Amino acid sequence: MIHRRKLLSAAGLTWLATTSKLIHAQQRKIVVSGSGGVVADANKAIYYEPYTKATGVAVEHVASEQQRMAQLEAMVRAGRTTWDAMEISASDYPLGMKKGLFEKIDYAKVDPKNTLPAMARQPYGVAVAAYSELLVVRKDKMPAGKVIKSWADFWDVKTFPGPRSLSARPQSNLEFALISDGVSASKVYEVLSTKEGQDRAFRKLDLIKPHVAKFWKSGAESVQLLSSGEAVFGTTFNGRVGAMQKAGTPVEIVWNGGALHLSYIGIPKGAGNIADALDFIRYRTTDPVPMREYTAKLPYPGFAPGLADGMTVAVASQLPTYPANTIVQFAADAVFWSDNLDKLQERWNEWMLK
Amino acid sequence: MMKSFADWRETWLVWPALLLLALFFIWPTLDVARASFFDPDFTLEHFERIFTRSVYVTVLLRTLLVALEVAVLCTLIGFPAAWIISRQPRKRQMMLLFALFLTMWMSVLIRSFAWVVVFGREGFVNGLLLALGLVSEPQQMLYTSSAVLVAMVQVLLPIQIITCMGAMTEIDSALVRAARVLGASPVQAFSRVVLPLSMDGLLTAFSIVFMMAMGFFITPALLGGRTDMLLANLIEQQVGQLKWGFAAALALVLLVTTLLALALGRGLQGIARLLSRRTA
Repeated sequence: MIHRRKLLSAAGLTWLATTSKLIHAQQRKIVVSGSGGVVADANKAIYYEPYTKATGVAVEHVASEQQRMAQLEAMVRAGRTTWDAMEISASDYPLGMKKGLFEKIDYAKVDPKNTLPAMARQPYGVAVAAYSELLVVRKDKMPAGKVIKSWADFWDVKTFPGPRSLSARPQSNLEFALISDGVSASKVYEVLSTKEGQDRAFRKLDLIKPHVAKFWKSGAESVQLLSSGEAVFGTTFNGRVGAMQKAGTPVEIVWNGGALHLSYIGIPKGAGNIADALDFIRYRTTDPVPMREYTAKLPYPGFAPGLADGMTVAVASQLPTYPANTIVQFAADAVFWSDNLDKLQERWNEWMLK
Repeated sequence: MMKSFADWRETWLVWPALLLLALFFIWPTLDVARASFFDPDFTLEHFERIFTRSVYVTVLLRTLLVALEVAVLCTLIGFPAAWIISRQPRKRQMMLLFALFLTMWMSVLIRSFAWVVVFGREGFVNGLLLALGLVSEPQQMLYTSSAVLVAMVQVLLPIQIITCMGAMTEIDSALVRAARVLGASPVQAFSRVVLPLSMDGLLTAFSIVFMMAMGFFITPALLGGRTDMLLANLIEQQVGQLKWGFAAALALVLLVTTLLALALGRGLQGIARLLSRRTA
């Protein structure tokens, strides 16, 4: 019985191998998993189609936002990885690295001339974009003559009355609370690593809790809260603000105290077409020309050398990596969160229920 | 020998369904049970954590309470509706049923999200209240437990009605007329004739709605406040962090609690029946 099954599967594999070789002979292809919505549209127009034209390698996009890592682990465990390259968010990077879900990046292929900054060249992923989670305020809902400038102002419900919104996760919120309590941005994780620091963050959060109308669970929801007025001051991602402004919602970014994250592009363990995936990653992360066009559309800049050349100040000043913006933010520590999430998440849930 | 052969011929139509269930339901469920105890070696750590940290038991009890409330409300609204629909002429009945099914074609996500527009600060209800001068500023209706309850009842009501209907269409209208002729008031006719005859359908509908409500997570996530966490929301959180073992343990606790609650309901039902037989 077992013999027959082995035989059958061997036959099946041979058949698969021959047919896939045939398909490869016709057209080479990579499957890229990433976000949906505007991000997918911009990637298709600016990266995938021109790349296929130039190299003949077709790029198939798979939109996977919800539970991307759960999907990945299921595929890796089953030994059937169908993606060749994938977006990796800041918090997913250490998670996947610990579980061995990514292939190591071959920088001889991706960045042979070593043009990317060291922070962008991670062993299991190449930084593809910088993004910020930060405070965004409705200009029309601020008291006359007063402007929110910091997390301390966000906590000041007397001067700035109105419903607030925060994300439903402990990540970033604990940092924001500490900064509001007077901890300097460079010391945030040092303080947060201690029991006293964590107590201090939760005590500070106690004060704002009654004024938070909704703890949001997705980026789309964070935008909807601000544009519908359910919250007039709240957190969201910088890339979503432009669309809100275009739709006529008078919102403004407060860069001060924002959390700066990096997201990566990498190769899932067991990918079928690593060679082409590496070449695509080279194009996606080191070529400034399409990246400039992409950044003009969505303010998620990468680190391709010469990206800022010829950019207008109006465009550049909306980027999280614009010097004046970078200097007032703190670098979100994905490794800290990967190490501490379990405990802090539990405490956060208990805090939410109280 | 002859008997079992006849059995086989009578039951073979059931086998494809059973096979499907075994492959895609029973096997994965057993695998979830395994994952909750073996991670990768045998451990009770996950269950210890669930029953020693306050958050999980609190959320479990909350989930039970919400599911019970939803099932009771669905019964109170759905049962009379099902009765009225079952008494309509065939053509109108089909139309009404079609209208019910229509709402089920839309995803739970969309049906839940629609309430954001209705309950929002700048939404329909607040607009109406403000225009009528009943309130002077927008009321917080969205992101409350009541919003979750209303939306869950709306989502599950069609299932309640359709399940009830099945039992009711078999009730002969002549029985109700007979009761009325013999001097029963409309209320008496309903409670002494219709209710006992449709009790099984009602309880089945109640159980189905209760079970489905126990596993809800989209509606509370969209419409609830920070305390409106149901157990399924916690499971989703754990899966997102690839904590399969703990997620599996939570899922098993949810499953066992649901089954226990249903068994308890069946038990109470049996006792009620015995008592009513004695008094009759």
